[in-house]
Amino acid sequence: MSQLVRPNRASRSRWVLGAPLLIFLAAVVLFPLGYGLFVAGQDRSLLNPDPSWIGLDNIAAVVQDSSFWRAVRFTVIYTVVVTSVELILGFLLALLFNRRFPGKRLLLSLTILPVMIAPALMGIMFRLLLNQDIGLVPSVLSVFGWEISLFGTDAVVPMLLLLDVLQWTPFAFLLFYAGMQSVPDELYEAASIDGSGYWRSALAITVPLLLPVAVVTAFLRGVDAFRTFDVVYVLTGGGPGDYTTNVSIYIYKAFSSGNFGIAAAASVVVCLILLPVVPVVVRRLADPARS
Amino acid sequence: MSKRSRAVSAALITGVLVAACGGGDSDSASDGTVKMVLWPGPEGEAMQQVVDEYNTGQGQTDGVRVDMTLLSRSDTFSKQATLMSQSSSEFDVYFTASYLIAQHAPYLEPLDVDVSDYFPVVTESLTVEDTTYALPLDVSNHFLIYRTDLIDSLLDDESAHDVYGDLAEQLIGQRMTPKHPDEWDWDDMIVAAAYFTQSHNPDSPTRYGTALQARNLLFNTMIWNNVLWSEGGSWLDDGGAPALSSDAGRRAVEVYRTIYDKGLTSPDSSQAEFPETQAALTSGSAAFAIQWSAAYAELDDPEQSPETAGRIGIAPVPGPEHRTHVHALAVGINKDSDRKDAAAAWLEYLATDEAMSAYAAAGAIPSNPSILEAHADQNPIFPYIADHLDEYGYSPPALPRTYDIYVALADTLSAAWVGQGDVDAALAAADDAIAQLVDAG
Repeated sequence: MSQLVRPNRASRSRWVLGAPLLIFLAAVVLFPLGYGLFVAGQDRSLLNPDPSWIGLDNIAAVVQDSSFWRAVRFTVIYTVVVTSVELILGFLLALLFNRRFPGKRLLLSLTILPVMIAPALMGIMFRLLLNQDIGLVPSVLSVFGWEISLFGTDAVVPMLLLLDVLQWTPFAFLLFYAGMQSVPDELYEAASIDGSGYWRSALAITVPLLLPVAVVTAFLRGVDAFRTFDVVYVLTGGGPGDYTTNVSIYIYKAFSSGNFGIAAAASVVVCLILLPVVPVVVRRLADPARS
Repeated sequence: MSKRSRAVSAALITGVLVAACGGGDSDSASDGTVKMVLWPGPEGEAMQQVVDEYNTGQGQTDGVRVDMTLLSRSDTFSKQATLMSQSSSEFDVYFTASYLIAQHAPYLEPLDVDVSDYFPVVTESLTVEDTTYALPLDVSNHFLIYRTDLIDSLLDDESAHDVYGDLAEQLIGQRMTPKHPDEWDWDDMIVAAAYFTQSHNPDSPTRYGTALQARNLLFNTMIWNNVLWSEGGSWLDDGGAPALSSDAGRRAVEVYRTIYDKGLTSPDSSQAEFPETQAALTSGSAAFAIQWSAAYAELDDPEQSPETAGRIGIAPVPGPEHRTHVHALAVGINKDSDRKDAAAAWLEYLATDEAMSAYAAAGAIPSNPSILEAHADQNPIFPYIADHLDEYGYSPPALPRTYDIYVALADTLSAAWVGQGDVDAALAAADDAIAQLVDAG
């Protein structure tokens, strides 16, 4: 009898113990998701206090909007470029810091400083620093004879990419550096005895062992870069025209214009675009050995 | 856990949640507190002084206390939009503006305001289908703000006229002589900008002639509209169809594009708005710019702007016809407020000369001609505002999607302003966007 009862108790305990997490998930994930889907199916806007159900019309409007696809294109390019550069630079920095040299602690502290600055604040700081009339950077460059306009139409996209790399490379570096601390020294010693040089050891030992870290870093930075808003909005507002409009700015503009249905529909389309990527990443994260 | 203890726990939790959710509103409803939204900055700071005066004076007679919340300057309207869409009664008085009034009207109480005290162009801009929904506070318009020392030297120096004439031939294709900024059309502004640009005139005391505000921003569209209106254009033709693909529209984009492409403004102008333009003027980098009326006080202040103070002149926005965009910031009563009577008492006070005098004294720019006249000694731009609004002021139509049209124009035209893409394609895209928004509205 007791054997029959025990599984029920265990099952109940699982639900009781898991309840806080389930309630949390329902409150912060399922409800917003469901409500977002609901609003996406409504003609809800500031001009329409009594919205009605319009099915997929908002989603169709978003999908047919060429500026939405330009925003998606810019976002994907931005994400791929900054994530790739930050991974490479972060790894190289980690290799550099994985050796002993004087002033390492001070340099380490300085290197990770940008991660601690709020992105919106970073945007405001750079808007001042790069201003051609009162900014420090153009002023210093002009002393050396470099007259440069970092907000000019040709420079604005590279400038946005550069700022993202400046702020978030230290994040990639931190993860790689932490990963390198867990690689046993014996492996390098054995390789050294076998005649392997520094770069050979890095490629043959460090890179394969840090691949799971690279996947996690790429995932975290990719997600973060895809939803970048603050810095780009503060610095360019998505312009000139819609040259630097990413999906976050597209959605924000729809929302701030009071077009809640369109904003929600655009969010749903972005989720659908990203959906195929999620199982791949989750599989990698859940089973690091496959990396 | 017994059924009884479970019921007691549930009742306790429910009680705590209800108290947490509803406590704030019921408190303000019972103690006569009117909650009002405004944005931070000069308007918010000035209004705080009016609020303080009311709370310690007339408010005590009315039995009303005003509690003002300053939301973020960039996101006030977004946050307010969320509250409006939820029929929230959290705030009794909402912040609004001419360019948003048609969107906000469904959420505001109609007001019975004596409009004779205000600039007609301002009250018209806050009227939707013959009903006034908001009480005007600050009025905003544009001027050509210029360095008097530089312009005077250009006008007085005969030898400078030759250089000016040569530049006119290069840029406009005809010889021109310098004029006073009061008489400028767009060609005069372009040639004067070239004269004060070092890449065109190495002897220029300023690096650039002007400072264009060409960032993708709805407020910059308001400045560009002056060019369009001055050329006889508008968003819509007489039949209500989009009218940007016209000679006036093309000319208006070309004026900006010429200034940017010829290097008469900083390349960074593609991301410039009010603060960058102020920086260009105060640093002595630019000789003149079309700028908002609120800019003058800072530019003429010796502490904030030692380079320009005492050397700032004001002229109408250039053009074959001088025109200036006008809009008002305003406040209206939330239709879903539980304290409409108290809110009405507060707005009644705000409509008095006493309140608006205090507002002007605190640094704001009220929409009442008599108040501006009375405070002319305090801010020398006040008399100019009164004159220019009367002579050159226009307010774009208060369409249901006016705000969206401004945003769409910035999206579709700001690249063309700075030499990117094809002008006709940009204007056609702007017309398409306007057509969709007019139809949807």
